[in-house]
Amino acid sequence: MRQPGLSRVTRLLGLAALGTTTAGCLPAPATEEAREVAALYTGFLVLSVLVGLLVFGLATFAVVRYRGRDDGSLPPQTHGNLKLEALWTALPVLTVLVLFGLTLVVLSRIEARAAQPATDLRVEAFRWGWTFRYPNEGIVVFGAGEPGPEVVVPIREPVRITVTAVDVNHAFFVPRFLFKKDAIPGRENVFEINVQEPGAYRGQCAEFCGVYHAFMPFTIHAVPRPEYEAWLAQQPREGAEASALLGSPLASPGTDASSSPSDPGQPLDSAP
Amino acid sequence: MSATGIAVRAAAPRTSALTWLATTDHKRVGILYGTAAFGFFLFGGLLALFMRAELVQPGQQIVDEQTYNQLFTMHGTIMMLLFGTPMVAAFANFLVPLQVGAADMVFPRLNALSFWLFLFGGLVVMSGYLAAGGPADTGWTAYPPNSELQYSTTTGTDLWIVGLGLTGVATILGAVNFVATIYTRRAPGMSMLRVPMFCWTILVTSILILFSFPALTAALVMLLLDRRFGASFFIPAEGGDPLLWQHLFWFFGHPEVYILALPFFGILSEVIPVFSRKPLFGYRAMAFATVLIGAYSMSVWAHHMFTTGGINLPFFAITSFLIAVPTGIKIFNWLATMIRGRLTFPTPMLFATGFIYLFVIGGITGVIVASPPIDFHFQDTYFVVAHLHNVLVGGSVFAVFSGIYFWFPKAFGRRLSERLGKLHFWSWVVGFIVTFLPQYQLGADGMPRRYVDYPANTGWPELNAISSAGSLLLGLGMLPFLLAVVLAFRRPPDQPDDPWGGNSLEWWTSSPPPHHNFRSLPPIRSERPVWDARVAASEAGRAHASRAERAGDEAGPGRPAGPG
Repeated sequence: MRQPGLSRVTRLLGLAALGTTTAGCLPAPATEEAREVAALYTGFLVLSVLVGLLVFGLATFAVVRYRGRDDGSLPPQTHGNLKLEALWTALPVLTVLVLFGLTLVVLSRIEARAAQPATDLRVEAFRWGWTFRYPNEGIVVFGAGEPGPEVVVPIREPVRITVTAVDVNHAFFVPRFLFKKDAIPGRENVFEINVQEPGAYRGQCAEFCGVYHAFMPFTIHAVPRPEYEAWLAQQPREGAEASALLGSPLASPGTDASSSPSDPGQPLDSAP
Repeated sequence: MSATGIAVRAAAPRTSALTWLATTDHKRVGILYGTAAFGFFLFGGLLALFMRAELVQPGQQIVDEQTYNQLFTMHGTIMMLLFGTPMVAAFANFLVPLQVGAADMVFPRLNALSFWLFLFGGLVVMSGYLAAGGPADTGWTAYPPNSELQYSTTTGTDLWIVGLGLTGVATILGAVNFVATIYTRRAPGMSMLRVPMFCWTILVTSILILFSFPALTAALVMLLLDRRFGASFFIPAEGGDPLLWQHLFWFFGHPEVYILALPFFGILSEVIPVFSRKPLFGYRAMAFATVLIGAYSMSVWAHHMFTTGGINLPFFAITSFLIAVPTGIKIFNWLATMIRGRLTFPTPMLFATGFIYLFVIGGITGVIVASPPIDFHFQDTYFVVAHLHNVLVGGSVFAVFSGIYFWFPKAFGRRLSERLGKLHFWSWVVGFIVTFLPQYQLGADGMPRRYVDYPANTGWPELNAISSAGSLLLGLGMLPFLLAVVLAFRRPPDQPDDPWGGNSLEWWTSSPPPHHNFRSLPPIRSERPVWDARVAASEAGRAHASRAERAGDEAGPGRPAGPG
């Protein structure tokens, strides 16, 4: 809004039109689970548009067709119509039952658990940052504020994530995963992701947690397993080096600068 | 009746401040409630404008993080509990005795107490601005542990707890009065199936209040004990459970959403038939749908907690889906009332029609977030912000304005300017769309709510700028309304008893009605006694005219007959 030139105004207007007509387009889903959710959402959206058009159509028909004919005559005093009313009770019931069925199918798929996921990741949220632990490998990645901690997971295999919090409620939210889970002190919430696309995925806290709630991002890099293992091998083991708790996990050349946190979805370019 | 009305009006006006302070007249209590609630509304709206100003572009410009957190905490608290809920009480106080043909509420003094408790409770909440640490900073949902003393150190949070406790008691007292009045003070002939639809919605709303507000009171007391008296209900390290708060809060909070919706459905059910010149389509189905929504609304609370990992997802998904059905019935019945009617569009009907269009979008997006897998993405993003404002602004607030324009002549004997009303309406329709539709896209993109700042991702600065521009239009749109009120009071009261051609009993008495409301009542044989009386009068007139014609008398009553 600094220089309201004509082009900027047109662009704003165009975006306004876009924002009002396409309101609700999801980010490209990056995990197997997210693809299920995106498909479900598309189904909901189609039905929503149909229902919306029906109601908008009826309302507009009523307003246009029956407005202002003030000739003093009385319209027919209809008090109701049982058949019509039964119809517009039954149709919504059927619609929501269908939506519920689809919901159950997708819910059971995204909540399915692998027998033995190779990667276990434990996430602890705190005011205002995150601690990621790889318990099997004894690796800890810690970070607060911008740009936040950066961790690596393998693609195309299940990764089990356990979230909790040490002080107040937070929520683990990665928009490209179309998923969030609350991090609540005293509770452990477990879920699995199976990232399909390699890339750097920015996450953030989604549950209001106090003064700097808006400033606790993190980044998850999804890479093929060999690169993941190479990254693991480079990490200091817990207790080996105190400074490891504070440093960036991606300090090795070739991986650090390439992934700007404000640029989600950009693939991690080269193996170290 | 008009003659008696004028006589009483001439005797009544002793409008010194003291008579207002000491009043137990339900109409005055209603006007006091409405005025106070509207004052809170203007203040809460101002807070929203500050938030939108901060979010115009990425980076921080106007307020710091803590101030921003206090802005949205107070905005949400004020709009839900110091504007929305008391606005329901305002309409209900003014209308329920008039619509059921009673002289006053069953417990007039309890009614006055309810208003003053609400006002002082609201002022206690607001007095947080005088505290050293400022007002509450926990979000209006105040989830512990973040709302525990260790993390929310301002005394403003304690004032928030105590103030809301007081307003909660006020709301409960009001609800007792509404239930008792509707059950026991109906005029002879008014069976429950002849009660105006607005009173039906108030009856169900009041029962919801009686079930849900005690849960809030309990939760507030527990939080205060945690903060100041060493209890640990919500502190996990000491054996407490943060999720307990969420259950209690939403066990209140979701019925609360319907407490802020049902009465406004009721206003629409009064306004639309009048300006369609038809009876409400499917009166019984509407009453039944109201009861059904009330019942369902007690069993959907945990859909606010889908991402906590602590609830049964399918159960709360199906109840949340199903509540869309009675809501849909209402919308279809309103449309069927309009179809084949004789529609006119003065300002009350404009806002009612705007409600139907905008509320439907909010209803549909509500079904979308009722699906847990989809909610896992949308929860706590701007999609939810857009959805809730869609139902509460595009829905409830539009209905509030519809009701104010509709009953203003009855309450004050003066009419609000139609021209300013239209300006108000269109600036709010455009302002609403420009403000909130972009927020759906922001939420889909993953922008979380309650963020003082956001990264400059593709499209985010633009969408936020658009949304802020819309909010400015909403703010400016209040000016014609305020001007219309000021102008109305600069003229003497000139409104007839029934300026719109109304249906229910409040249109039978004078505008404004006398103390104790009625000198006479028409026979009540349907849910539209005043309409029936008008039809009977015009038929009598016609019969008289035709008798006169047959007798060759040319001086028969020449007034064009016909209801409306």
